[in-house]
Amino acid sequence: MKILIADDDGMSRQLLEKTLEREGYEVISVDNGRCALQQLSLPDGPRLALLDWMMPELDGPGVCLEVRKQYDRPYVHIVLLTSRKSKEDVVEGLEAGADDYLTKPWDPAELTARLRVGQRILQLEDRLVEARETMRFKATHDPLTSLFNRGVIVDLLARELTRTRREKGCTVVMLGDLDHFKDVNDTYGHVVGDEVLREIARRLLGSVRSYDFVGRYGGEEFLIVLNNCDSNSAVARAEEVRNGIALHSLQTMRGPLPITMSLGVLSSRDWDLHLVEEILGETDLALYQAKADGRNCVRLAKPPVLYNVPLQQIR
Amino acid sequence: MTRKCDRSSQGAVNLGELLTRVENDHELLCELIGIFKEDFPRLLQSLQQSVAREDMKHVEATSHALKGMLSGLSVTQAAATASRLEQMGREGKTSGLTSALTLLENEVADLLPELNAYTEKAKP
Repeated sequence: MKILIADDDGMSRQLLEKTLEREGYEVISVDNGRCALQQLSLPDGPRLALLDWMMPELDGPGVCLEVRKQYDRPYVHIVLLTSRKSKEDVVEGLEAGADDYLTKPWDPAELTARLRVGQRILQLEDRLVEARETMRFKATHDPLTSLFNRGVIVDLLARELTRTRREKGCTVVMLGDLDHFKDVNDTYGHVVGDEVLREIARRLLGSVRSYDFVGRYGGEEFLIVLNNCDSNSAVARAEEVRNGIALHSLQTMRGPLPITMSLGVLSSRDWDLHLVEEILGETDLALYQAKADGRNCVRLAKPPVLYNVPLQQIR
Repeated sequence: MTRKCDRSSQGAVNLGELLTRVENDHELLCELIGIFKEDFPRLLQSLQQSVAREDMKHVEATSHALKGMLSGLSVTQAAATASRLEQMGREGKTSGLTSALTLLENEVADLLPELNAYTEKAKP
């Protein structure tokens, strides 16, 4: 594990370096507070730090205060190591954000024991962060395909539509449905069906840009949101998605299976719709049209043409 | 009953304590002594100049650095005197400053020869 030593006293640094290297730490050693802060701000910087109090440029408590402002970084366990021994100093150091306080001259056994406590706290923090991330992933992703789940993909679509309207851009929405998927389940069983869904998810992700969104909308339905996509290329992009599935059979435990997808496509610029439900409704109608037209094809949702004809003339 | 410390026989450095701190690593101790011999005279000279100028901020900073070095080598008595000088610097107390410096100078007078003797003895 990496550890930072910041001390302007060369002897202290040397002694600490040797003691900590013997304990198996990867030691990074600096002689002032500014360099210490720099090291602790690096993306893969040390997460254990031993800081002297009085240092040139920035003192130990100053480093603590700056480090604690970095909320987006993993936690750094800081031990102040100083010859300032008064209760007021201890309180000031801890209030500045230090986790522990040791006075010079230190006892090597106590120092290493306290650092092990720091390591345990960091390991606990890592486990908590990991557990939180796992729960967050489970709450937002479909367990079978690992795509966004329905709630999240619809929220993302709503957010994109708002942004698009504000920036006068265009969002392309695709709703894709696997053709005759029920037959796959009925003929080969649900295990193969799941295998197909996982592979479809992989191919969908492979056929869009890294900043587009793909989610599982229903059983064999997928919702794709293309951000800042040119309205004129909406159908061509949907054809790419369709071909990405149709052109090569899917390899399954029961052999290769030819699978196709029908897609309804909508370009937000063509419509004056504000509600996400309306957008999805129109895209769904285009998907129905694709199914009705023989499947394995793309249909664009087109708004009804309104003619500027006076009502009396129509009558 | 209070026991008086016999400095002539014990020396300025508490060698036993020091060896415990470096986990009996003689080579490391020689390295530390090398750093000390390089930094200490410069810091002491700097302190002497600050005392002469009564630059109390500098007295505080230099005494603090000296205190750290001395306690790092387990030179406890001189470290305590440096601590007193640091306190005087922090409080801006000039009375007794020169005598405290003289005391420190006396306490460290035999220090470098003592450290040299150790490093000579520790040579393989």
